[in-house]
Amino acid sequence: MPLSRFDRVPLPNLKTYTFLSVLALSGCVYFAKEAIKDPDWNIQDKVQHQNSRQRDETFNISSANDTSDSERSLKQWVSDMSAVMTREPICVWVLINMAICWLILVGRCIQRMVFGDLRVSEHQHLKDKFWNFVFYKFIFVFGVINVQYVEEVLLWCSWFALLGFLQLIAQLAKDRFEYLSFSASTPIWSHVKLMGLLTGIFVISSFMLLVAIFVGYFIGFNTFAFMSAEVILLSIRTLHVILRYGLHLYDIRTEDASGVNPTSPSGSEKVWEKRGPITYYTELVFELSALSIDFLHHIHMLLWSNIFLSMASLVICMQLRYLFQEMQRRIKKHRNYLWVRNHLEQNYPMASSEELSENSDNCAICWENMDCARKLPCGHLFHNTCLQSWLEQDTSCPTCRFALSIQNPSSSRMDAPPHDLQQDNQQPIRRELNHFFHFDGSRYVSWLPSFFVEVRPPQLMRTSDVQNSQLDAMGRQVQQLFPNLPLSTIVDDLRNTRSVEVTIENVLDGRLVAPSIFHERNDHASSPSSSTVLPQSSVPSPSAPSSSSSTRWEAANPVETEDNVAGRFSKSPEERERILHKRMEHLIQTARKRYIDKQHSSTETHS
Amino acid sequence: MAGSAVRRLLAEYKQLTLNPPEGIIAGPIDEDNFFEWEALITGPEGTCFEGGVFPAKLIFPRDYPLSPPKMQFTCEMFHPNIYSDGRVCISILHAPGDDPMGYESSAERWSPVQSVEKILLSVVSMLAEPNDESGANVDAAKMWRENRDEFNKIAERIVRRTLGIPA
Repeated sequence: MPLSRFDRVPLPNLKTYTFLSVLALSGCVYFAKEAIKDPDWNIQDKVQHQNSRQRDETFNISSANDTSDSERSLKQWVSDMSAVMTREPICVWVLINMAICWLILVGRCIQRMVFGDLRVSEHQHLKDKFWNFVFYKFIFVFGVINVQYVEEVLLWCSWFALLGFLQLIAQLAKDRFEYLSFSASTPIWSHVKLMGLLTGIFVISSFMLLVAIFVGYFIGFNTFAFMSAEVILLSIRTLHVILRYGLHLYDIRTEDASGVNPTSPSGSEKVWEKRGPITYYTELVFELSALSIDFLHHIHMLLWSNIFLSMASLVICMQLRYLFQEMQRRIKKHRNYLWVRNHLEQNYPMASSEELSENSDNCAICWENMDCARKLPCGHLFHNTCLQSWLEQDTSCPTCRFALSIQNPSSSRMDAPPHDLQQDNQQPIRRELNHFFHFDGSRYVSWLPSFFVEVRPPQLMRTSDVQNSQLDAMGRQVQQLFPNLPLSTIVDDLRNTRSVEVTIENVLDGRLVAPSIFHERNDHASSPSSSTVLPQSSVPSPSAPSSSSSTRWEAANPVETEDNVAGRFSKSPEERERILHKRMEHLIQTARKRYIDKQHSSTETHS
Repeated sequence: MAGSAVRRLLAEYKQLTLNPPEGIIAGPIDEDNFFEWEALITGPEGTCFEGGVFPAKLIFPRDYPLSPPKMQFTCEMFHPNIYSDGRVCISILHAPGDDPMGYESSAERWSPVQSVEKILLSVVSMLAEPNDESGANVDAAKMWRENRDEFNKIAERIVRRTLGIPA
């Protein structure tokens, strides 16, 4: 998808924007009010619009207007005002601007209520998606539809504004869901809010689909297809996220259940076994249907636009190519999946209950209890789903490396989506990125904006190798100023900011900090005497046996000894974090003490 | 996918907390993100890294344990198998498919039965016995082979730095 990003374009912040919009609106209202004070405002218009009409007619209207002027009701006043404002082009634009401003404010409210502060990557996704959307719709409206009238532009703009707004919120919700799924403990309330938002988006998009059908009924099939494709895509994606979310919540719930009751009833385990294929097939169906609808939509645009040699069709073609490749990749992956599944079922029998009871271990892949399992020829047992997902990427027993005779002719490992490439991003990495335009203004003059247009899969934050070298160079530039920051942190930030200056600002404002461990080191280095805070007994001296020293240490500080905290695994995440931190500090302090003592004793023996 | 990864990581965290191996501590820095861990490793006794406590971070993939985590020391390190930016080059951390150095047999590589504990223990033994055939840090490998005294001196300096003791 072509993506244009205009970094560092000086956009006003929301407050000023709202203020200016309201100001413009009030200006317009004032203008309209002044206009209708003049009793002739209607006539002039009539004259302009109906030049051919006769003079007497207009005089008649004017006299009629005169009489009714004094008892003009509020309702009429409003309708007159709007009549004036819709007639004046500037006022119309001001009204549209106001509507957009309102939409942004609503978005901001939703963000405040549901998401709180956005994380850097979410912000970046949002920005990418926004410019992407604007770029694409611009091409659509002016390149594909080839609008003739201002009214048409207005209608499309308002339609797309609403659609884009929903898409942005949906993207944000998806990002946040993925982030929440990283955590083992999230308050139920944030799940509820997010789920509610997603359902809301889904409902609105279904409603918009109805509108599209309604409009299409009156205007024609093409308009309907254009309008509905986007809406259907949005609802499919939202529904997909909702389903994934539901499955994830189910996961979390079973985890809680098994945490409370380690010997959980076998019922949930059975569902767990079935869960794998269910997740897989929902994923497959949703991805493929979204891709194919997108594909058809683009083909439709290409055929309809009638201009095969324009920038618009070029962009659409590139997008088509990308979609086609994605579909191919997905189908290939599915073939591999089916093949592995058949292979499993044909060659490796389910373990009998005696074998299961003999082998009381958990599944070595997921570390969970095994109620039913498949047995490999080497005698090792695994969950069916766990084994399946491993064999999709490798062909040996996870435990003993016994080579299984899997020769999949249709898809070798290279063809199959390599799992090791899906590191921190669920999407596979696409190596070739089609830059077709890149302008880095800050290289020439500092205030020039830098932007580029490139083709790359949506929601993918990876940069090409070429850019990486450039980033590294920029990172080193920053590191010269802040040598205590690790290069990786700087480069990570640069990947988002794409500007040395902005990153430096981030560092100076404290938005970019070194990993905590660096601070700790520095603190210790600056205050070597801090070790005296520790009771002497915490370190086993050469003479005293270590057991007595540890008991004395416990007595001195009963809560925070290493022995004590190591012995338990708290239920509350905060406490776990705190204990982990304590244990780490304790380890470092003990090592320090031991080191210093050893040095002392060695110098003593030397002297 | 992420759900089962979180469950497995939680189980490993629990095990590492309840039965920690000598001189090793590891756990998620911030439990809002269970896929990023911090670890402390004590230098093995009787080696040039003895006594040091080396901080590292572990980044887990979404499909853990099918794919290995990445490990990077966050302190300065000088070791034949550690890149100058701290990334650890050790066979257990390599996915079965890729073999950047072309020297490992697949038996040593990542498999889902490995765990954080096994990784950290492997790193400890790597600190004790560098594999100077895989040159993640060529200078260090060369010095390790040819000028052991100089290598030990640098290691000593790093140990002191990790403990916050001025040289």
